[in-house]
Amino acid sequence: MTRSEQLKALRADVDALVHADEATVLAALPQWDSLAILLVVSHFEHVHEIEITGAQVRACRTVGDILNLIHSLS
Amino acid sequence: MHSSLSNIRLAGVAVTTGSVVRDFIADGLAAGVDRAALERTAKTIGLRERRVAAAGITALDLCADATERLLSEMGLDATSIDAVIFVTQTPDHSQPNNASLLHGRLGLSKSAPAYDLSMGCSGWVTGLHQAALLCAHGGAARVLLCAGDTLSRLTNPGDRSTDPLFGDAGSATLVEKTGRSAPLHFVLGADGSGAEAIIVRQGGARHPAGSLAERTDAEGNRTHDANLVMNGADVFSFTLREVPSAIESVMRHASYAPTTTDALVLHQANRFILSTLAKKTGFTEAQTPMSVVEHFGNQSSASIPCALIHCLGNRLEAGPLKVVGCGFGVGLSWGAFAGEIGPLTIAPILSLPQ
Repeated sequence: MTRSEQLKALRADVDALVHADEATVLAALPQWDSLAILLVVSHFEHVHEIEITGAQVRACRTVGDILNLIHSLS
Repeated sequence: MHSSLSNIRLAGVAVTTGSVVRDFIADGLAAGVDRAALERTAKTIGLRERRVAAAGITALDLCADATERLLSEMGLDATSIDAVIFVTQTPDHSQPNNASLLHGRLGLSKSAPAYDLSMGCSGWVTGLHQAALLCAHGGAARVLLCAGDTLSRLTNPGDRSTDPLFGDAGSATLVEKTGRSAPLHFVLGADGSGAEAIIVRQGGARHPAGSLAERTDAEGNRTHDANLVMNGADVFSFTLREVPSAIESVMRHASYAPTTTDALVLHQANRFILSTLAKKTGFTEAQTPMSVVEHFGNQSSASIPCALIHCLGNRLEAGPLKVVGCGFGVGLSWGAFAGEIGPLTIAPILSLPQ
């Protein structure tokens, strides 16, 4: 999966990110909350078969950081 | 740990819920949360309304009511109970245990032991295993398993990530020794390294009392040390890691496959988790009851018996169903079971006070 495909799949699963790009700052999104974090954890599990913690998602500042996390754990 | 126990049966189940109906959207609007955000959460997680205990009502009261209604439904006297096990993490007192209080309240026989299991959402399965052990190997003919909590008292109304999830309920399940040979299979486990994922820090011997100063997290949720605090994402990760393999393991022991099993009855955490677990274990959503949360909230250890009644009650009254189930949560811990359940006496779900 290319990086742009990864971003597209992430947007499809996590509604808070539907209009986001790599530079989007997560904390600036009104829907970036505990539910969004849970959806990211679920996305990692079912799309990439990677188990992550909530703390790993919370440590991401931007959407690009989430994609970097996928890359670093794949 | 795997365990298969024969010559036991579930004879009856009853659940009593709290009487105060709390509406997820209305409560959220009153707390100043945006309607669109509430509707998004309601849809994704499956929250609508929950039932919490009225002031002065405890898990002991809820379970005592469920027990009395079940015994009445079955035409049994309380003195016919050979042991009582009470699963709760919200007991009336730190001493004595809830089982002893219930023993006294119902007038059980002095030859009937009474003990608590301090467990939450996985506890009904662990309690069922204990009750089945007492019947299969412990000299008991009839064991009362009570399981319930009033977790709504422990969450902080300012913690929007946790407070809207929980309802209060108490269940009563009667397990009996029988000549029937079909075994009930169990797989139980724990991962104490995740103990902090769901925790109430204050109120036990380590921190009996102290500051109740509130903290606010990055998302604006407020909690203090006597609140139940849950890291939802980590609990979700744990659930996906441990529950599917426990279910697959117990099904191997029972020689069950999803296509030959009538129902997958999971701890009713929330619709999102249940639908993810159904998908991962090869069950359809039609086989997997999920509607307890939207009517009652997450009822801790009472949620599996509530799902049995609310979603499968008529079918279980009529005859045996091949059921697979799993409780999971605080500890972290889990317990899966597989076997035939029914025909079962069921007392309807009622609230206390009615």
